[in-house]
Amino acid sequence: MTSCLTDAQQTRQREFREFVARHLEPFAAEWDRAEKIPDATIARIAEAGYLGSTLPERFGGQGWDTVTFGLLNEAFGRASAALTDLLTVQAMVSMTLLKWGSDAQKSRWLPQLARGEIIGAFAMTEPGAGSDLQSLATRFTESAGGAFRLDGTKTWISYGQTAGVFVVIGHAGPLPVACIVPRDAAGVKIEPITGMLGYRAAGLATVTFTDVEIAATDVIGKPGAALNYIAPVGLQYGRISTACSALGLLRGCFEEATARAATRKIGSGTVGDFGMIRSMLARMGTDMHAAALLCLAACRATDERLPEAFTKTLMAKFFASRAAVRAASDAVQIWGAAGCHEDAPVARYYRDAKILELIEGSTQIHEELLGRAFIETAPKPAR
Amino acid sequence: MNTTDEKTIRGKIRAFILASIHVPDLADDDNLFESGIVNSLFAVQLMTFLEKTFGIEVGPDDLEIANFQSIAAAAGFVVRKPAQPAQPATA
Repeated sequence: MTSCLTDAQQTRQREFREFVARHLEPFAAEWDRAEKIPDATIARIAEAGYLGSTLPERFGGQGWDTVTFGLLNEAFGRASAALTDLLTVQAMVSMTLLKWGSDAQKSRWLPQLARGEIIGAFAMTEPGAGSDLQSLATRFTESAGGAFRLDGTKTWISYGQTAGVFVVIGHAGPLPVACIVPRDAAGVKIEPITGMLGYRAAGLATVTFTDVEIAATDVIGKPGAALNYIAPVGLQYGRISTACSALGLLRGCFEEATARAATRKIGSGTVGDFGMIRSMLARMGTDMHAAALLCLAACRATDERLPEAFTKTLMAKFFASRAAVRAASDAVQIWGAAGCHEDAPVARYYRDAKILELIEGSTQIHEELLGRAFIETAPKPAR
Repeated sequence: MNTTDEKTIRGKIRAFILASIHVPDLADDDNLFESGIVNSLFAVQLMTFLEKTFGIEVGPDDLEIANFQSIAAAAGFVVRKPAQPAQPATA
């Protein structure tokens, strides 16, 4: 994949990987056990400019292209999928407001998001509605002058514990609505979720909104547009981030597994002397390269503002997350009992990989969307 | 823009839609969203196509279903919308 990058992108990639190796990877297991990313780590990431990577410089961001954003997520994914999820949610909120926010909303929130002074969280999932966004039960009740009262419960919200601002999606009557809710708004209650299988350090929370006053100026875009136009922009960046995070995890599995296969003694040879192990590594390495190309294609199509960027991103996320699950399973297999201990990175990869298949649209939702898209764009018979 | 321009725009929009969804043909005023012929990704794909092809920027004030509900509506929207300088993705 590196040979397909510009010089500037390659330079950034080296910078990202050095940052990860020095500041993130040595501590990822500790964060996983503590179920928390330290504030000092988030501050260091913010200081490096990584929380505003996709925002334009006029808002204090880095103005990097989507390919570079993907490389950042891939580098972080090698260390910790839970931490990479911070980049995911920040980009989802930032890019939603960049595209659809009013000038006042952009001025108020984007500089803070770009500098990492505030963390954003994307509040869509509910106890009774995950991938089926039409079923969202969160309600906006209209009050005077285009304002609303907000009631509902969102759950499994990544970085909900630390977010300073939420993008919330619900319905006003039949119309899907998106709005901005500051953490300190009256009626917002945040309950941490612990004990997750994976993504243990991602600060998940259940967020309850009870009669929260939403000013007309905090509505994003217009009522009716939340599901067709507003959420898809956030989800696009969420899926790119998750796909590239999965690619980084895949690389971690590959590097850990090949190193183990090359060095772990069995009798007079090594684990890698067994053909069945080499078969696993062949699949894993090929999956990694295929996922890298799909991620690159999705990022480039997004940079070029192509309509097919959305389906390319679905393919990248679908393939990379499933490949990450396979790779993590095989990496644990190659490591043997040592790979089942909490000190082994592959044990954490194994738990985190499963979450990649669920977030930003489950594997099954991706299959539904892609399968339908492939049928609809199939060549039509000549008439 | 004159009527010839709008006719050309309609043609480009029709070609994009017919390549994106499985229908034999579409009239200029057929409602894309009420007919259930489009999938959940189509709205944002059509928007991205209009931005890319005609050099416009769809903003929050443009988020009216009436602007995108048919070939004729989308072409009229493009005609009314001033061209924007090229910007990075979704900026």
